[in-house]
Amino acid sequence: MPFIPKVGIIACNGEECGCGNISRQAALKVLHELRPHDTVTICLPLFLAGDSGERGFAEVFPTVTIDGCNKLCATRGTAMYSSEPAVSINVQEYVSDGCAAEDERWVVTESRAVVDRIAEEVAAHVDRLRARLAEEWT
Amino acid sequence: MTDQRVLIPCSGIGKAVGEVTREAARLLTEELRPGVFETVCLARIMTEDSGAAAERVRTAEVFVIDGCPKKCASVSVEHAGGRVDHHVMVVRVLSKNRSMRPGPIVDIGDAGKQLARAVAEELLRGVVL
Repeated sequence: MPFIPKVGIIACNGEECGCGNISRQAALKVLHELRPHDTVTICLPLFLAGDSGERGFAEVFPTVTIDGCNKLCATRGTAMYSSEPAVSINVQEYVSDGCAAEDERWVVTESRAVVDRIAEEVAAHVDRLRARLAEEWT
Repeated sequence: MTDQRVLIPCSGIGKAVGEVTREAARLLTEELRPGVFETVCLARIMTEDSGAAAERVRTAEVFVIDGCPKKCASVSVEHAGGRVDHHVMVVRVLSKNRSMRPGPIVDIGDAGKQLARAVAEELLRGVVL
C-alpha cells in the first residue's frame, strides 16, 4: 500500500458566535464520520500557540480551513504561521443570517443542515486533494 | 480591577478534553454565571490585525480553561500581552476525579459532562462574582 499523505482539517472553533461552532462541528463530521482515514485534525489553538508538529504538517501537506466568520482566523492563522491552505471555507457563505446564531455557540440545533452541507463539501475537497497527492506520491 | 470578565476555553479539537473545556464554558455562561462572562475567540487573539480581541484580553479579568498541559489558551493570552487571572486545566481535575473520564470528542458522554461541571466549579472556586 503506497503512502499517500492525509489532508489537514483546521476549524476556527470560534467561541463568540454560532458559526464558530458550526465550523467545529463540520470539521468533526469530516474527521470522524465522512473521511476518517483520509484526514487529520490540526488543532488551531495548538497550531497558533507554536506547536512545531502542527505547523510542520501544514507547511508540507495540504490543509482545508473552515472559518465561522469573515475574520477568517483559521485561514489567516494557517497562512501566517505555516503556509496557505489548499481550500478555505467560510461558513458565512452558507448561512442567511450572518453570525446571528449566538444561541448555537455551544450546541448546534437549527443549523445541523448547514453543518452537513459544509462537511460534504469539505469531504469532496479532501477526495480531490487526496487524488492529487496519490499522483504525486506514487 | 476591571469589571470586564473574559472567559477563554482552549476548544482543542484533537482531544476530548478540548470538548470538555467548551462544555465547561457553556455551563459557566448559560447556567452557573449567566451574563457575567464575555467570550473571546481564541484564534482572534492571535490573528486579528486590529488587535481588538487582544486588547480586550489585556484589559479584562481573564478566566482560562485549558484542556491539557500544552496550555494553548494560556499561552495565547500571554502572547497577546494579557494575564491569566484564573486558570483551570481539565486533565488536572480529571486526575482527582478518575471516574469522570470523558468519552470521545464527538460525544464526551455523561462522565465528560460531569467532568466539565467539576472544571467549571473549580474555576469559580474562591472567586466572588
